[in-house]
Amino acid sequence: MKNVYLTPGQSVLNKPETYVYIDKEEKTDEDRELILQLKRGKMKAFRKLVEKYKKPAFFIALGLVGNREDAYDISQEAFTRVYTSLGRFNPQHKFFSWFYAILSNLCKNHLRSREIRGRYIRSVDDDAEMSSQTNPAPGPDVLMERNERSLRLWEEISELPLEFKEIIILKHFQGYSYKEISQMLNIPLGSVMSRLYYARKKLKDNLKDILT
Amino acid sequence: MKCEEVKPYLMSHLDGEIEPEKRSEIEKHLEECEDCTKEYQAFVKLKQETDKMKLADLSDELWNGYWKGVYRRIERGVGWIFLSIGAIILLSFGAYQFFKELLADPNISLIVKIGVSIGALGAIILLVSIVRERLFLCKTERYGEVER
Repeated sequence: MKNVYLTPGQSVLNKPETYVYIDKEEKTDEDRELILQLKRGKMKAFRKLVEKYKKPAFFIALGLVGNREDAYDISQEAFTRVYTSLGRFNPQHKFFSWFYAILSNLCKNHLRSREIRGRYIRSVDDDAEMSSQTNPAPGPDVLMERNERSLRLWEEISELPLEFKEIIILKHFQGYSYKEISQMLNIPLGSVMSRLYYARKKLKDNLKDILT
Repeated sequence: MKCEEVKPYLMSHLDGEIEPEKRSEIEKHLEECEDCTKEYQAFVKLKQETDKMKLADLSDELWNGYWKGVYRRIERGVGWIFLSIGAIILLSFGAYQFFKELLADPNISLIVKIGVSIGALGAIILLVSIVRERLFLCKTERYGEVER
């Protein structure tokens, strides 16, 4: 997969819209073929698609909602939505970019309802323990190795605004290239760099004590 | 280059996604600018820390049951659709029969017939309004699935 670079001398901060990347050459033939088969009613093709993308789907959801059970449910629900909204998929675009839009919207809905539920419970019940059970904060059980530094870092990532958290998850935990992130978030390449800069800057400023 | 112009490129330099020509420009700036160099070094440390972090994987059992879970959801969705269609058909038929007999029954006074008919009309208008609102919300919901 080739990288796409910004034009030398152009400032991405001033005119990020200059760098919209439109991928016309690259066609994900395998996914497209699977979707065509699925449209003809072949469930085996859908199963292949699910098996192919279940892990990235789960880990992205986990990064965004911070809870394993919810991430598992949401990622499965996203595949169900793919099946029911297949007619809305534009075959000119990459499947995973479309899928990501569905998945991230489900995560955002989930976070929003969790926040509303938490706010409601706090307003009618002052019992902090009960509130935390109903509105669970992102837990450290999502990490493979739990040491003081990684827990602190995870806590700071969890506290980031959603658009920053999203880009950190995609870059650091999923290892997507700038071009792929640009397509998934449907933003210009320059905005990927700017958003990543501000997300990392926020993390860096909040983690001064462990980074020095 | 000004520091503000350099900052986003520090990211592409850090992630190895910078073109060689730009790389030289950024490195030249870093040699001359102490503030940007300090910031860049802090980003390097942050990247090292985040690279060490890994999200915990699920058990094989859960991964093996993943497809079945998705399939079950689809199956249930289809089940609900059929159930809803069947219920709508039966309810519509029941309502039709009820009104047919009500209007044809000479023992029921005209005022009752008019009252029930107007009430039914109101219920239909409310139902149509709710369905239309739901359809509109589906199309315009802020976090609905977006088409790309």
